[in-house]
Amino acid sequence: MATTAPTFLQKPVDPARSNSGRSGPSALSRFARRTVFIIGGIVAVALIYTAVKAMGHATGGTWPFTSMPLPFSTDDVTMPPVMDIVLRFGQPQRTGDPKNLTMWILEAMLFTFREAFVGFIIGIIIGMAIALIMLRTRWLERGVMPWVIVSQTVPLIALAPVVVAFGNQIKVPLFSWQQWMSVALIATYLTFFPVAVNGLRGLKSPTPLALDFMRTNAASGNATLWKLRMPAAVPFLIPALKLAATASVVGAIVGEISAGVRGGLGRLLIDYSAQYLSDPSRLYCVVIGAALLGVLFVALINVTDLLLMRNRPREAR
Amino acid sequence: MSTVEAPQTQAPKPKTPSTDSGRWRSLLPPLIVGVVAVVAWEVLVRVFNIQKFLIPRPSSIIAALSTSWADILEGTKRTGYVAVSGLIVGVIIAVALALLCTRFRFMADALTPMAAALAATPIVALAPIYFKWFGATDPTAKQLVVVSVVIFPVFINTARGLLEVQNVQIELMHTYGVGDWGILREVRLPNALPFFFTSLKVASSLAVIAAIVAEYFGGQQGTLGSIITQSAGLSRYDRAWAAVLMAALLGIVLYAIVVVLERTFMPWQRAEARR
Amino acid sequence: MTTADTTTPAIEIQGVGMVFNGGRPNEVTALTDIDLTVQAGEFISLIGPSGCGKSTLMRIVGDLETPTSGAVRVNGKDPRQARLDHDYGMAFQQAGLFDWRTVSANIELPLELMKWNKARRQTRSSELLDLVHLADFGAMRPWELSGGMQQRVAIARALAASPGLLLMDEPFGALDEMTRERMQGELVRICAETGATVIFVTHSIPEAVYLSDRVVVMSARPGQITDVIPVALGERNEDTREDPTFFASITAVREALRGAPVPAVTGSNSVDTS
Repeated sequence: MATTAPTFLQKPVDPARSNSGRSGPSALSRFARRTVFIIGGIVAVALIYTAVKAMGHATGGTWPFTSMPLPFSTDDVTMPPVMDIVLRFGQPQRTGDPKNLTMWILEAMLFTFREAFVGFIIGIIIGMAIALIMLRTRWLERGVMPWVIVSQTVPLIALAPVVVAFGNQIKVPLFSWQQWMSVALIATYLTFFPVAVNGLRGLKSPTPLALDFMRTNAASGNATLWKLRMPAAVPFLIPALKLAATASVVGAIVGEISAGVRGGLGRLLIDYSAQYLSDPSRLYCVVIGAALLGVLFVALINVTDLLLMRNRPREAR
Repeated sequence: MSTVEAPQTQAPKPKTPSTDSGRWRSLLPPLIVGVVAVVAWEVLVRVFNIQKFLIPRPSSIIAALSTSWADILEGTKRTGYVAVSGLIVGVIIAVALALLCTRFRFMADALTPMAAALAATPIVALAPIYFKWFGATDPTAKQLVVVSVVIFPVFINTARGLLEVQNVQIELMHTYGVGDWGILREVRLPNALPFFFTSLKVASSLAVIAAIVAEYFGGQQGTLGSIITQSAGLSRYDRAWAAVLMAALLGIVLYAIVVVLERTFMPWQRAEARR
Repeated sequence: MTTADTTTPAIEIQGVGMVFNGGRPNEVTALTDIDLTVQAGEFISLIGPSGCGKSTLMRIVGDLETPTSGAVRVNGKDPRQARLDHDYGMAFQQAGLFDWRTVSANIELPLELMKWNKARRQTRSSELLDLVHLADFGAMRPWELSGGMQQRVAIARALAASPGLLLMDEPFGALDEMTRERMQGELVRICAETGATVIFVTHSIPEAVYLSDRVVVMSARPGQITDVIPVALGERNEDTREDPTFFASITAVREALRGAPVPAVTGSNSVDTS
């Protein structure tokens, strides 16, 4: 193949794993350290944010000791105080609403997650199916793989509004197509490209020696697939899944915005953005919710990774 | 996205003579598949009279591209400007942070997990907030989205490349009496180059994605993102697809520029890349 | 154990030639006119310079390559049939164990492929772990073992289905000298216990001499058998390495490799005993 795969999809490398051998700090203590650093980072961001606000307040909106205006306003509407944002989570979405904002955001996260996850799983299935077909059919690999690789450099997500419109018009017999399914469709295609690329690489990763060994033992094609190629593909798939998980969330949010789907984070982002002047903190809250969803989704992949790779050497390839 | 791959550190393979016939042999199958796919698309849509809101014909997409050429070109320029300027600023910040990490190891310990966590978040969701800060029509907000998206992969990889050098090489430099600055120049920077370019390829794609997604959240009109959403909303799917096509082209061109840069600055990687 | 009766040779190779990329500019003649017969229970080493085709010859026997000319019989069968019948086990230069399986599960893999049930597999793998002196390591992962231990697991895996024939392609090539000698001792013991026929590819003259009943010396370009040197060392033990016969045989093999005339040994080119 003349086209090389975009290198970001080639080899699984997890910084956490590069700590080779069993002599390093235990997984738990590394996890604790990382958590401390992340919490420290959040605190630092909050402090910087507050400091910038204080600076703007003190100088009246200019850079210190100059008359150059800051590129943004630091008033409480543009940049609501950190405490306002934190407290906002516990208040009702709007006055008189029995549910508080946290419940709204959690429900929206769950809604968006459902779309992203359904699409993600279907994307994995399609991606692996394509990888398997390409593994068996060499001319197809040579003909299709370069396109799959080019697709990685293309902003596929640009198609989201078109896909959503497409979904709106679809009429499938015996089945009522719902809008969230269009959104899931976006997550699907965002997932299946990286999965196909890395899946094929992983399936082809066994050494000639391992393949010779299977052959000398008269292993069938199926046995070679399930006992050798599939396990060998796992470390190649994990990075693709992490990429796809984040992309699925972005795709779902963008899809919701384009389709006007109610109930998810995308809709809340648009609504709270429109009503920003009357209630600025809410927008910050829902952005935090979106970030959390991305982190949780990737954490889910990390847990899967730990489970699937628990028996592999730490420096796994 | 933190899962960026580290470039293979094995010795470059000997250059294989790439004859013209060999290049053709590997280019031909994708070309055939591409042409067949486009022709099949055109024919299927015509024969089965698939309504144009489902999938417009390639020929009507091209037609829409030529009728709306001025608008789409302008949109591509605007979106491209945001993507490229954001990319450059983001890369400069990321590399500066990574260089600081070689001086202050605690920074690496503190920033890497944070960057990994942030890379998992849908950073483009920050767009509405940035719009409130800088005003929705000002491209600054979108540039900032691009910067935010680009920083993490470039930082994580460049820091890795700068920090994960072979101890032998460092010790060799010490025996020559070379200081930290010399080690940076002779060992760390060359070691980091492949990591940097790998992440730059990721970042170039992410920059276009971030710019367009930011445009989906609103803001300035006449950009690729707004052309796509508006056209889709008005059921002018051929025009929407034409804009998508240009977005794809923008992504490929940026990626190609990075590849050219990579080959210019790391000629020794060329043989490897052509495998 | 071997299904063939004792009169059938374990391996018969007649006039085998191997040409890679035939007809193209990069055509290579890897083997030419190879004749070799190996009796059941014999230990044969293939030795020669790089590119002499010794690994290719072994791969032909194991049906990993198909010769371009000549005929090969394994236990009186076509090599393909012998492979499908699990007539031989193979060990390679790298242990090639699967990271994701425990040591036991690695040894059981060939049996899994033969659809043995779990209880039988477990009994067999614990027998084999005893045989290679790794009884306590069955639950560990291969990457937690040293190189020598991994290679012992690979040998146990090759022996799993009790094949009458072992094909070993430089299995100790990556080990340090001390481990290597210990492994050679183990292999001699295992062969004595199982009565297996062995084809052993190696670069090391002392290793070939220490292990083999006959050392097959090959030369490169084109790969062919130049000499077959019988080794009469009797039962091997650690003293064998100090035995004058041992050194004499080493000298004989070395001179055969250099292409010098070897008056002491019959210099027949063909070793076809039939």
